[in-house]
Amino acid sequence: MEPDEIFRSIADVDGLKRGQYTPNNQGKYILDTNPSWPETVVNGLYVSDIRARIEEARRAVLAGQKSPLYYHMARRQMNTAILAKTVGMTVFRVKRHLRPEIFSKLKPSILDRYAHALVVSQEELKSV
Amino acid sequence: MTLESTATGKPFVHHHAAHCESGVTSAFFRDKGVDISEPMVFGIGSGIFFGYLPFIKPAGMTITTFRSQPGAIFRKVAKRLSGDFVVKTYRNPQKGMDELRQVLKTGQIVGLKTNLYWLTYFSERFRFNFSGHNLIVLREIENGFRISDPTLEHPVDCPAADLQRARFARGPMEAHGYMYYLTSVNPNPDLRQACIKGMKDSCNLMLRIPLPIFGIRGIRFLARKIISITEKFDLNEACRLLADIIRWLEDTGTGGAGFRYMYAAFLQEAADLFGSAELASLSEEMTAIGHDWREFSLVATRIIKQRNKSEETFAKAGGLMLNCANREEIFFKRLQKVVRKLKT
Repeated sequence: MEPDEIFRSIADVDGLKRGQYTPNNQGKYILDTNPSWPETVVNGLYVSDIRARIEEARRAVLAGQKSPLYYHMARRQMNTAILAKTVGMTVFRVKRHLRPEIFSKLKPSILDRYAHALVVSQEELKSV
Repeated sequence: MTLESTATGKPFVHHHAAHCESGVTSAFFRDKGVDISEPMVFGIGSGIFFGYLPFIKPAGMTITTFRSQPGAIFRKVAKRLSGDFVVKTYRNPQKGMDELRQVLKTGQIVGLKTNLYWLTYFSERFRFNFSGHNLIVLREIENGFRISDPTLEHPVDCPAADLQRARFARGPMEAHGYMYYLTSVNPNPDLRQACIKGMKDSCNLMLRIPLPIFGIRGIRFLARKIISITEKFDLNEACRLLADIIRWLEDTGTGGAGFRYMYAAFLQEAADLFGSAELASLSEEMTAIGHDWREFSLVATRIIKQRNKSEETFAKAGGLMLNCANREEIFFKRLQKVVRKLKT
């Protein structure tokens, strides 16, 4: 799908409108709620980028290259640095937990910290 | 415009605005009985700016900002219009939420700095990991808060847990539960004096910061970078970087063309206030600069969308940006001279 189509498909559903200033016929500025074309394109591009990143993460997990934590991190638009700050661990430790064999041996208390930070249940955290 | 009420039943009128922080500040003053529009707030608070910060990357995106740093507009406007305000940050999220509830109970409306990703009333296209969105909390409701987000047409509800996460999200540019509100204002503020201060400050910010990444110098720096971008990156990466710039220019609540239209709207109001024909002609010049920025974003968007097939080139986009820099330099130098002649 083209980026502006993605934008329209979301904007039509949510009905949220943002304003921008445009001069009217008399040259007086008014707040217009129609998005400009560049805005629709770059925003649609951004959304499709994020979606692609999440899908890529999901595939990596299904292929057994990464732990499900990787997918949930991508879903919350985080990177290891942000996730590490949110759960209060070192980046090194979080990166280690992205490995499937290490993730599968994690204690429930650690999983709970991740679940809390990513706002998912422990069961959800173990699946994609 | 939508009518709402605060915790003590005092009426509050929600106005739709283009930008979050100037909209919030304008709402604060309107709530206290000083009717001041969003562009006016933007001008008085010296909102217009340019900065290219490649070293801060929220959500993997370099920052190209077209306004001054978050929080500055509110502080400057409150000071210049002689209002008393409170600004607070918290280490403990629970304490931050408790204090918010206490302040709301007194009928005060409260401004918050939040992370866009965790605000669930937004849809997918708004939500990205950026801790710099301002909104107003009107009152506590069952399981949440009534929120007047100036970038939206109508007030919305937000669950308490989501708001807490949004306020205390970790990552680049952390908000630390940043909370602010006006306690009192001068009912008859000296608008003329404030406008002059605001315009002078803007000129200084745009022309006199001796660093290559801010103001007019910053625009030139970025423009030269765009011209030679394909030497350093492959086409896909170059398009992605260009798309990031266009997002900051058009998509992040800028009121169109990176706040340039909003500033033109401010100059229009200021021209009426001072009865100055020079300010009116400067407003028209700013509108023209806004059109130039819009032209730049159109060309850049064509490059992004059509990739190789497009006739537009990075050199052309960069050239348009250099043109904007030249025009803005002339504009701000002229503004400097005009401001000196204005009488309070």
